[in-house]
Amino acid sequence: MNDILSLSRFGWLIRKIFIEKTASVFGSMLLCFIVTLVFYGMVMLLQGIAEAQNDAFLVGLTLGGALMASVVFGYFSNDATGVSFLTLPASVLEKWLSGILIIGLYFFLFLVYFRLIDLAFVAQYHHNLNTHSPYYKEQYELVNILRFTDSTAAQNFTMFFNFTGIMMLGALFFNKAAFIKTALVICSILVAGFLLNLFIINLLIKNVQTAFPFSIVWLWVGKERARLDLSSENADIVKIAFRFVLPAILWVLSLLRLKEKEF
Amino acid sequence: MILLDKFCFGYKANSLLYQNLQLSLERGRIYGLLGKNGAGKSTLLKNLIGLLYPTSGTVSVNGFNPSGRQPSFLRTIYFIPEEVYVPALTINNYVKIFAPFYPAFDRTMLNTYLEKLDIQTDKKLNTLSFGQQKKFIIAFALACNTSVLIMDEPTNGLDIPSKKRFRKLISSSMHDDRIIFISTHQTRDLENLIDQVVIVDNGELVLNAPVEVIGQKLSFKIVEENYNEQPVFYEEELLKGRAVIIENTNGLESQINLEQLFNAATENPVMVKAVFNK
Repeated sequence: MNDILSLSRFGWLIRKIFIEKTASVFGSMLLCFIVTLVFYGMVMLLQGIAEAQNDAFLVGLTLGGALMASVVFGYFSNDATGVSFLTLPASVLEKWLSGILIIGLYFFLFLVYFRLIDLAFVAQYHHNLNTHSPYYKEQYELVNILRFTDSTAAQNFTMFFNFTGIMMLGALFFNKAAFIKTALVICSILVAGFLLNLFIINLLIKNVQTAFPFSIVWLWVGKERARLDLSSENADIVKIAFRFVLPAILWVLSLLRLKEKEF
Repeated sequence: MILLDKFCFGYKANSLLYQNLQLSLERGRIYGLLGKNGAGKSTLLKNLIGLLYPTSGTVSVNGFNPSGRQPSFLRTIYFIPEEVYVPALTINNYVKIFAPFYPAFDRTMLNTYLEKLDIQTDKKLNTLSFGQQKKFIIAFALACNTSVLIMDEPTNGLDIPSKKRFRKLISSSMHDDRIIFISTHQTRDLENLIDQVVIVDNGELVLNAPVEVIGQKLSFKIVEENYNEQPVFYEEELLKGRAVIIENTNGLESQINLEQLFNAATENPVMVKAVFNK
């Protein structure tokens, strides 16, 4: 008997999870889609459509992905469900993949959904432009649908994979209120990282205004602000680390944590 | 077969709940695990199913190390925790999605067990009372035909007629290739059901003996107030007189009272051990 991966057993597991967790999985997806739509509309009214596209994409993909990642391994908030999940005769890899599949499904559905609402909002924007305005062409070309291949989308994809990895790990570490506890850990790490980085930079360089880890240092030069960027070689290394290495580590750690999970 | 060898477990490394526990459970028997609240009964059971890992020593269930939680191991063992989980599904749908994981599952048997436990419903399982949910899970677990069935406080939440049905069902579903291990602190629920008594206290195995051996070694009697013929392991005042447990020296077997046996083993472990180690 294959104790690592059996397609038939994986099929039973997926069927079980989708039937059993229909409300929580699809309810969370629906909630994320609604929040994205509302956020897009509100930011568009307040700050314009270009800002709305980026912000709604960030909220829907990154925060929605994090929420989904927390839901898929949310068995351990309750003794009975935790025991039932861990003692079900399926392999650790199959149980982990079932979570990954749901996160992947959310990723795919979100992109389709976002493209549809983006098309609708952009079409509405174009439709509302005054065709007789001398700036019509510039205004028209100013706003286009968000391309999933541009740098904004790429940054969001990076955040999605990192945050989902952290949330999966968090759901397997914290049994109760995992989403909140993990979010607090993330915030603490970000703040601590920022402060530590600022402290070290201040030891090395004078007149620092502020600094962001792995990115940029702002300096006072007289009364002017000047930026000190990471060299392009180092920036590439950081990019690769955050895009590929860190998510891979986090996702693999979640698999190992599930394997070692005691409950 | 279940084997614990030099088993040590503690939730904290410097405070062990179990130290060097040796325990062997054979097929074809129903074991009753007795212990006070917090004695570590659930902890022991969780180590057998692989939900907790021993600090040191080994645990072997059907030749598997439970901590691996491989599917080939999990399909041979069913664990019913004290709090059971049932999703918002009807019995038929529950069977459709859970039964494929257990190759020896038998639907006809499930129907029989459900009938015996008086559960006939088309409602979703999560709308049933806790006792009904528990009875359904017990019936499902038995129908899975796993060689090891572990139950943690199975009678908690069951009404009096259901407890009686539960005992009858467990007895009737027992066979030579199966081990049933039941933990409880309600000793009366296991009377006339178990073949062997396992008592744990303070992380120690106080008693592990077949019921017939207990009957041969100990005598459960109602005696006069001034009885002093033999050393008494345990005594309590009842309405009908003074109940005592003494060593069985005349070879006549008496009816075992699990509650009194448990009290004797936990209050006077040295004397009880001495009798069984003779």
